Amino acid sequence: MTGFPLLSALIWLPVAGGVVLLAMGAMGNTASRQTALVVSIATFLLSLQLYTGFDMTTSAMQFQEQLPWIAAINANYHLGVDGISMPLIILTTFTTVLVVIAGWEVIQNKTGQYMAAFLIMEGLMNGVFAALDAVLFYVFWEAMLVPMFLIIGIWGGPRRVYATIKFFLYTFFGSVFMLVALIYMYLESNSFSILDFHRLPLGMTEQILIFVAFLMAFAVKVPMWPVHTWLPDAHVEAPTGGSVILAAIMLKIGGYGFLRFSLPITPDASHALDWVIILMSLVAVVYIGFVALVQEDMKKLIAYSSIAHMGFVTLGIFLVFTLLDNSGGVQGAALGMEGGIIQMISHGFISGALFLCVGVLYDRLHSRQIGDYGGVANTMPVFAAFMVLFAMANSGLPGTSGFVGEFMVILASFKANPWFAFLAAGTLILGAAYSLWLVKRVLFGDVVNDNVMQLEDINRREFLVLASLAAVVLLFGIWPAPLTEVMHASVGNLLEHVSASKLPAETGLALMGAAP
Amino acid sequence: MSLENMLLAIPLAPLIGAIIAGLFGRQIGRAGAHTVTILGVGAAFVLSVIMLKRFAIDGAEPYNASVYTWLISDGVKFEIGFLIDNLTVLMMTVVTFVSLMVHIYTIGYMADDDHNWPAHSKAGAPSSYQRFFSYIALFTFSMLMLVMSNNFLQLFFGWEAVGLVSYLLIGFWYTRPTAIYANLKAFLVNRVGDFGFLLGIGAIYAFFNSMDYATVFAAAPAMAGTSIELFAGSEWQLMTLICILLFIGAMGKSAQVPLHVWLPDSMEGPTPISALIHAATMVTAGIFMVARMSPLFEMSTTALVFVMVIGAITALFMGFLGIVQNDIKRVVAYSTLSQLGYMTVALGVSAYGAGIFHLMTHAFFKALLFLGAGSVIIAMHHDQDIRNMGGLRKYMPITWITSLIGSLALIGTPFFAGFYSKDTIIEAVHHSHLPGAGLVYLMVLAGVFITALYSFRMYFLVFHGKPRMDEHTREHLHETPWVVTLPLILLAIPSVLSGYLIDPVVFGDYFNGVIHVNPANDVLTGIGEHYHGPVSFVMHAFGGPAIYLAIGGVVTAWYIYMKNPDIATGIRQRFRGIYELLINKYYADEFNDFVFAGGARGVGKLLWKIGDSLIIDGLIVNGSARVVGWVAGMVRHVQTGYLYHYAFSMIIGLLLLLAWFVFLPGGAA
Amino acid sequence: MLLSDFIPLLTELFVLAMACFILVLDAFLPDERRVVSYTLSQLTLLAAALMSWSMLDNAAVVVMHGTFVSDPMAALLKTSIFLITFGAFIYSRSYLVARGIFRGEYYVLGLFAVLGMQVLVSAHSLLTIYLGLELLSLSLYALVAFNRDSAEASEAAMKYFVLGALASGMLLYGISMLYGATGSLDIGEVSAAVAAPGERSIILVFALCFIVTGLAFKFGAVPFHMWVPDVYHGAPTPVTLFIGSAPKIAAFAMAMRLLQETLGGLMADWQQMLTILAVLSMAIGNVIAIAQANIKRMLAYSTISHVGFLILGLLAGTAEGYSAAMFYAITYALMAIGGFGMIILLSRSGFEADRLDDFKGLNDRSPWFAFMMLILMFSMAGVPPTVGFYAKLSVLQAVIHVDMVWLALVAVFFSIIGAFYYLRIVKLMYFDGSETEEPLAVSADMQVAISLNGLAVLALGLFPGGLLAVCAAVFS
Repeated sequence: MTGFPLLSALIWLPVAGGVVLLAMGAMGNTASRQTALVVSIATFLLSLQLYTGFDMTTSAMQFQEQLPWIAAINANYHLGVDGISMPLIILTTFTTVLVVIAGWEVIQNKTGQYMAAFLIMEGLMNGVFAALDAVLFYVFWEAMLVPMFLIIGIWGGPRRVYATIKFFLYTFFGSVFMLVALIYMYLESNSFSILDFHRLPLGMTEQILIFVAFLMAFAVKVPMWPVHTWLPDAHVEAPTGGSVILAAIMLKIGGYGFLRFSLPITPDASHALDWVIILMSLVAVVYIGFVALVQEDMKKLIAYSSIAHMGFVTLGIFLVFTLLDNSGGVQGAALGMEGGIIQMISHGFISGALFLCVGVLYDRLHSRQIGDYGGVANTMPVFAAFMVLFAMANSGLPGTSGFVGEFMVILASFKANPWFAFLAAGTLILGAAYSLWLVKRVLFGDVVNDNVMQLEDINRREFLVLASLAAVVLLFGIWPAPLTEVMHASVGNLLEHVSASKLPAETGLALMGAAP
Repeated sequence: MSLENMLLAIPLAPLIGAIIAGLFGRQIGRAGAHTVTILGVGAAFVLSVIMLKRFAIDGAEPYNASVYTWLISDGVKFEIGFLIDNLTVLMMTVVTFVSLMVHIYTIGYMADDDHNWPAHSKAGAPSSYQRFFSYIALFTFSMLMLVMSNNFLQLFFGWEAVGLVSYLLIGFWYTRPTAIYANLKAFLVNRVGDFGFLLGIGAIYAFFNSMDYATVFAAAPAMAGTSIELFAGSEWQLMTLICILLFIGAMGKSAQVPLHVWLPDSMEGPTPISALIHAATMVTAGIFMVARMSPLFEMSTTALVFVMVIGAITALFMGFLGIVQNDIKRVVAYSTLSQLGYMTVALGVSAYGAGIFHLMTHAFFKALLFLGAGSVIIAMHHDQDIRNMGGLRKYMPITWITSLIGSLALIGTPFFAGFYSKDTIIEAVHHSHLPGAGLVYLMVLAGVFITALYSFRMYFLVFHGKPRMDEHTREHLHETPWVVTLPLILLAIPSVLSGYLIDPVVFGDYFNGVIHVNPANDVLTGIGEHYHGPVSFVMHAFGGPAIYLAIGGVVTAWYIYMKNPDIATGIRQRFRGIYELLINKYYADEFNDFVFAGGARGVGKLLWKIGDSLIIDGLIVNGSARVVGWVAGMVRHVQTGYLYHYAFSMIIGLLLLLAWFVFLPGGAA
Repeated sequence: MLLSDFIPLLTELFVLAMACFILVLDAFLPDERRVVSYTLSQLTLLAAALMSWSMLDNAAVVVMHGTFVSDPMAALLKTSIFLITFGAFIYSRSYLVARGIFRGEYYVLGLFAVLGMQVLVSAHSLLTIYLGLELLSLSLYALVAFNRDSAEASEAAMKYFVLGALASGMLLYGISMLYGATGSLDIGEVSAAVAAPGERSIILVFALCFIVTGLAFKFGAVPFHMWVPDVYHGAPTPVTLFIGSAPKIAAFAMAMRLLQETLGGLMADWQQMLTILAVLSMAIGNVIAIAQANIKRMLAYSTISHVGFLILGLLAGTAEGYSAAMFYAITYALMAIGGFGMIILLSRSGFEADRLDDFKGLNDRSPWFAFMMLILMFSMAGVPPTVGFYAKLSVLQAVIHVDMVWLALVAVFFSIIGAFYYLRIVKLMYFDGSETEEPLAVSADMQVAISLNGLAVLALGLFPGGLLAVCAAVFS
């Protein structure tokens, strides 16, 4: 670790900002807003240095920091990023800025605490992506729940209590089993370093058990069918900002977990059980697609569409083994995984944008029911233009970032098995159906009632937020190369790693054979 | 200006126009909007003509290079790039020309767009005009990206982009329920096609590891033997699979049965785009694509037959529907469907040249017919029902003449463009040896009669006979302004003359090295042998039935609708069943709405209510929570508060320990 | 009997002396000067804490004819007992003052209880253990009944006394059987005898059952937990606070002395017994807590579940496990005084604030105290970054290390159920509106105490290394 501790700054600057806001509870709403904005922007600018200073040629961890932390259990304060986690951190800092702006005059109740919660959460999420020590990771991972629990519970809708407790317990349920797995591996390797875990040799049974433990944690976070039911409730009840963070970043942590833990630590179990994940992913894409179609609540609809889109992430990631087997080499197996990662980032922008769009409407009419709207485009043309764009992006239109990931994953899945592609490509129809039907019912048509007639088009603040999202959505749709370049090395390395079995040869083969 | 820059400028010029008109419409005003877009498209047209000369006439080598790398994964380059050859330049010219015409025409057509919007709609008066120009310019860009592409990625991009613009334009008047129903329908039906298309691209990627046309075409022959097992025990020829999947895409875009349902409804959009998008250019993208993929399609007879049959069905059965329509635009729309069917048939019998040729001539005369219809609609104050028209020829001569030219071209009158292209197709089918070609031949022949019938039914009802519109409308009937008529005239010219390009385009070596045809399937050269110039081609045609069928069609139309109209009603009475079937478009919409739209919603509701709400949430999640709560409620009653209960429980506990560890042998570890 | 023999007993003698002194002094103090005895008691505790802390690194010495041992474990446990009691006394003051029962007896009894714990912690003879236990228990019985006018309290004291007597009786019976079997009361000799090779003697197992019963009662482990909710509920909150904190540490020591040091030879047996107790405690404690509407009862059941966790560490039977359990005991005591302290903080004369609903809208009334309670609750739920997480982490680690993964899974499963009722407190404080407009009148020492308490829980959660290391060092 040399020079400026960039990652620590990215974690603790926002946290400190949040603490200050809490401490200065007395200071007026405006003051706390401005403080929050300054802090979040500063963090964002800092995080850009990750990109500029990033070395794309290596798969090694970069910007590493290591300090002794808990000697008794040999846990260290060890941070670092690679091509997989770095973009996610920037996504986090970027989104937080938007959330702060989006909550500007919307949140009048306990503004300080609201902003503080988001800043603290930003720090914790950065921590999750940057942590290279399992205890540190777990601490951030769990601590993250607390601010979100409060955000939904304090600033949420009518059924917020049910939603937020469901959210907390669901996630808590998933993660405690991961904790047991982590402890187990610590006892095996006498270290909590994630990188040591990667190198840790494990037997098949151990791997299966650990894999399942991780699956419980990450599947809930992603969320994958059938442990997804917390998401619609959480989204519906959460304040706009909460939904945005939830959809844009928290869900990604599940996908990130698979990449950082499941695959490298239990490659053979992942290989043996990849069909389970693929199955769950495809179910998510199709089943949830249908469910999204019939939602009457805009946020619920988008929430379900998030689940369907995250299905592509897990699908892309776990195609890797079939591809490795088919292509016999690492060459030719990266497409799905890179597609999955891109899908994570792109979905961050798009779902965030859509939730912000709903927020814009909700702030005006205080209803999320599709039925209460209609012909909004007549009174809010500019807003309508944005929402159509994001809806199109959501249905994977080429030229928007929404297309890139899905395209890559579908191509990869055809390579793996045409039927995977057949089901995955169903999103082309379903995605378009629920996105555009929403647009039709909300934006188009003649003005349905006086409330809609009274609507004011978006103001400068809202324009700023939506426009910046629109910009990135288009940018990465037209030119995704900058995203893929940074992850090549890391993905390649990960593929190398998982393609090598951790098992002694013969048992390895035997169990591989056993796997469908 | 280097070649690269020129090529780059061709799609970008309209794009820039679109962006300016779209984002700054309010600032630059109407005049500004149509100026920038027309300038952009005009520039694109001029450059396209230059390219046409360079490649088609001066015979420059095809240009194939990438513009920039979209992304790289697995070492496979996904690029944006151009492949410019004779096929491309032809398409570019046609697209930009028709588009330019439509732009000019739109100035007149949209001049009074305000009354299409409710007063309260902010989306109307101030900006709708500019928005419209922005859209059609954007469309031009997308279409050019599609045809100029040198790889599947960009092809798919253009493919979806034109779909997007089509969606926006069909729903342009989005306060109208019918319009927003139509555009959603159009987009979704197209997505069904794209579903196949994308899978096709997936298959290509999976087996060729490249998105690049050249690479794929080069590697294709090696794959001839390859087959994959989709269902246990059923081997599929890889090429057949790929081609059929790709063609499903074409079926969506080019509205082939059964994915045709969206095109008639698309007439909800303003007429200029019906002409540009839903007649001349976008809907022919499928035809272009298949021609582009000829090296692949040539490898699978099965696929070709599939293409041919679908085309024939579309050509004939959509024609029937044209007869019973009363909405002037819908008649033209169904004729478009049927003509697309002809093109598809041509592709099916490997007469790609003929297909493309018909695509071109059709682009001209069908755009002409639509714009003519639009002109009529303007004059009729946006009444589109031909039963309220009649005798318009003396009020609007230019529209009348040009529409007549268009109709003649459409039905394939000798010496008109349509004749050459359509007759070649029919000939080609005649010469084809594909299984089923015989039947298809009869179908396309019947199509000729039908085409003539509905075209002239409309022509007579609109322009001849006594006026049937109300007084008020009649008094105000007059020829439309020059911005409307000029494009009509400019389009009428190629509708006549473009036929004479048959020499080079179909029988010449125009498509050598561009379109690949197996000698076995090559029907055009067969016909080419008996070809000795356009005149003799006409003479030769009199030997065949087509021409008489066309004449028959016209005569029948005249007899039924001009001579004694009550026959029409008589027939309608006699064959009520058939009439109902036709007027309801074979109940295709009802079927789709019920089975697919309804079905999907039903499945969704089921999965949501039963799967999510009841089983997962109700039973498992909240259920377990409830169980815990219930247990807690039960167990807490053990805490009675009575001292002796407590003491008792302690003693019981102790006794259990003793029993377990002392008296049970082996109780302990 | 040399003078040097008395050095290790320094703290015990000191506390004893001071307790007697304050007892006498208090008799002569007028009511308004009562604060003197309070201050003296606090100073005593601080001084004692310093003394025992200074002994932390001394090697183990056995004195008083083998009845008393002073070893690092004792030093550490005593230090924490003193400090926890110190905190408990601070919380108690304003409560007692507000209700006009600010009397010296409370502190004197408290100090005697502390003395009992010290003896218990340093016992090296079964008799000493019993001696300490009884001194502790009797003081506690008296404390529970401290508020004469409260019928509830008297009933609780009654129950506590009777059951306590029963438990002591069982313990004593077990001890006597050990004596009979081994002919000694000295822990060293007994353990040697027990560990002696030969087939497992029924009589010893018999004794073990009784001893474990006595222990379980002290811990409040299921099925010997019945007294806990009623006593916690009935006793005046400061007393509950005291009972719920320091004595757990003493109980841990007692378990160490009896099971690990004395009956190490029977580990196979008590491991199984403790397993049963642990699982039952975690299950019953967590589940029934959900159904409680009174926060003191709820915390009582939560104590039971925490005891279950603590026992997990013991039953691992490894140095790792013991230090984990020790860490758990100390940190739990810290959380417990905080939790009960918060109740005292909200209460005022005539209003006990012991219903869950009394916490409604606390965030509106005082964000800071709400935040402190939030930290405490998440800590009890074992959510990082609070110390409660590391307590759970280390005991889980210990059981997994001895290949009892299933037990770890059971534990985490019940901790999920547990999370629910802690979350409910947070929910009440943050999501619900306040029922009362009554402004919070909180004395300065109270504010400081609760803040330090909460922040300590947080700080130990961010940097648990130190305390973990100390606990580990004790058993290495």
